Amino acid sequence: MAGYQNRILEVDLSISQMNIIDVPVEDKRRFIGGSGVAAKLFLDRFNPKVDPLSPDNPLIVMNGPLTGTTLPGTSRFAVCGKSPLTGIWGEGTCGGNFGPELKFAGIDGIIFKGVSPTPVYLSIEDDEIELRDASELWGMDNYILTDFLKQRHGKDKNPKVLSIGPAGENLVKFAAICNDKGDFIGRTGMGAVMGSKRLKAVVVKGTKKVEVSHPEEYAALRKLLITKSREAMVAQSFRSMGTDAGMDLGMMTGDVPIKNWMIGEDLELSANLGGPAMTERYLTRNHACSFCPIACKRIVKVDDGPFKTEEGPGPEYETCCTFGTLIMNNDLAGVIKANEWCNRYGMDTISCGATIAFAMEAFEKGLITRKDTDGIDLTWGNMTGVIELLHKIAKQEGIGAVLSEGSRKAAKRLGKEAEELTVEVKGLEAPMHDPRGFHGMGLAYMMSIRGACHLMHLSLGVEQGITTYPEAGFQENYTGQTSEGKAEMIKLCEDLGLPFNSLAICEFVAWTLSANELAEMVRLTTGFDFRLKNLLACGERTWLLKRGLGNMMGISAKDDRLPKRILTPLKDGAAAGSVPDVEKLLREYYEIRGLDEEGKPKREVLIKAGLEDLAEKLHG
Amino acid sequence: MALSFPSIEWVEEFKRQINSSEGYKKAGATWTAGVVALVTSAKPEIGIKEDVGIWLDLHQGVCRDAKIVTAEDAQKAPFCITGDYARWKQVIKKELEPVKGMMQGKLKLKGDLPTIVRYVKASQELVECTTRIDTKFLDE
Ligand code: SF4
Repeated sequence: MAGYQNRILEVDLSISQMNIIDVPVEDKRRFIGGSGVAAKLFLDRFNPKVDPLSPDNPLIVMNGPLTGTTLPGTSRFAVCGKSPLTGIWGEGTCGGNFGPELKFAGIDGIIFKGVSPTPVYLSIEDDEIELRDASELWGMDNYILTDFLKQRHGKDKNPKVLSIGPAGENLVKFAAICNDKGDFIGRTGMGAVMGSKRLKAVVVKGTKKVEVSHPEEYAALRKLLITKSREAMVAQSFRSMGTDAGMDLGMMTGDVPIKNWMIGEDLELSANLGGPAMTERYLTRNHACSFCPIACKRIVKVDDGPFKTEEGPGPEYETCCTFGTLIMNNDLAGVIKANEWCNRYGMDTISCGATIAFAMEAFEKGLITRKDTDGIDLTWGNMTGVIELLHKIAKQEGIGAVLSEGSRKAAKRLGKEAEELTVEVKGLEAPMHDPRGFHGMGLAYMMSIRGACHLMHLSLGVEQGITTYPEAGFQENYTGQTSEGKAEMIKLCEDLGLPFNSLAICEFVAWTLSANELAEMVRLTTGFDFRLKNLLACGERTWLLKRGLGNMMGISAKDDRLPKRILTPLKDGAAAGSVPDVEKLLREYYEIRGLDEEGKPKREVLIKAGLEDLAEKLHG
Repeated sequence: MALSFPSIEWVEEFKRQINSSEGYKKAGATWTAGVVALVTSAKPEIGIKEDVGIWLDLHQGVCRDAKIVTAEDAQKAPFCITGDYARWKQVIKKELEPVKGMMQGKLKLKGDLPTIVRYVKASQELVECTTRIDTKFLDE
């Protein structure tokens, strides 16, 4: 099948055994690749009741069919498994360069099973694949490790590295997996799953080609899409200011959470933390994932002061919020430093920063004291204290060990009052987009498969008016602060967004293209007769599959909820007084999506989507 | 009396509204980046035979000059935002947020984007000023 290498590497780390498998062509057509195919593999081969940190939980690294082609925004890949943070289906995608290189080595994905008796890393150089001892590498941070492995394996060609830092080794529940220092599978703690397997890294070099099905039409489409994705205003905006371009605009629309979601507007914070400020003060150059004409990545440097930082990958919008607005820190240099430590240790900057914001509010309310923090002052905005706390979290020391479980579990240990300070759905800390400004995002958080997620659906771009896909049935414009019509919008956002996720295409690039063009990318690459309607059907099927997996992992209707903080109206800012109408949103969504009162997809809905096996498992 | 958009009278009233806006005075207080020109594309069927430019000399929260210019002159401004009549009408009716409109490609910007993003609050205040003008749209 063109687009795919049709080889998935299966590695049993317990017995150092490797073999090659593949998924049926029909499953590629039905679930495309990436997290879609990974979810199907999980359903077919693994036990949903598995302990996330046990040898029986797989770590599935999976490319999409476009990964490694030269189409714009196609460098991404997914890493999936059961999440140790949430206890349900976990997944994350990552840009960078690892996915394409794995494809060049002739491999679509890797399934890691078991646990190695000693630390190892996997080296792949085309068909030479071996597990190597990583005892000496255990304990290295991601930056030092990446440099070391590139030196060791980089004689003829620059190898690409996927790795964990000390946080993954120490099983921090929101540990991330790092690709070449600057790109991360951040969400849902896949780094801890990797750490539990004593797998320190994967190093890959390849020389093979990715075949495409219709080369001439493909070349013409590619040319058109590169121009489109380069010239779109959102692309220009991200190129010149990074994703943090969204900060100033977000502050005006009520999107930016402030002080653990308690304040609605602070223009001084956005002026100090936003994209223009980063560009003027700390940007040294742009960086791009493979085959991306946008180049939204920031390379930054802080020359002096308490947060002096060597030139390296800079923070995204989300990080500028979690370590900025959310904790009342208006010093961008402090954000850059915190970002660097999260990168080195390998921790999700969203969950980590949000958990620290929770701890700061608990500190203010006296639920955590200096005695608990070993003297660290967790007053709002104290970045020196935050950096000290980061070290403790990554090393699981003192209060750090409690917070390393994520905010939901940490709050449970602190008691009822603390639980009201957390902002998470299904155990995943909410990203930095406030549903009080955009009600559809509230529904998306409630219904996202992995917990509060801003990426698996297209709602961020669609509801905020950054993009629209009228050919797929979207309105041209949506009003943020209404729950009217949002159930329909979110279902469509998911049905179109999940295939993008399975294709592993960058959402920012996807915002610049039409839905028909995205379907064409699949058709011309794979040869599947894929049109927009197939993309949407695939999205629906994949959503149902993942939801079913979630149900088998314990998710039911009672988990589809928003935290109290998000349902408390703000007193100031653009979203003042507005909260999503949860009951209406859920009632309408359940109806459109075909969920029963327990929150399971109905049998007939599963059968209509061709998921008879799942129907059998869910309904008997 | 309602003023036609675009017209010299409308632009003069826009200047008056900007200079009496406390909100704009505050949000644009540090603006020293120069003139902003707004170009409406030609639409002969409603009487706009060629592209029309509105020249706004904005400086530190004040509009020093406002006039109608040719599209060619408008392009000389450090910031030039171009859109068709329907889009500007949406902006004035507050149905399209201008920075959003630029993101969606409905309005085209020539000029330094980070500067515009930094002054998004000022741009909203300018839109507020247009809503205070009793506007007559030529296609209504
Ligand atoms: S837009 Fe940014 S995240 Fe997306 S592929 Fe390009 S560089 Fe990577």
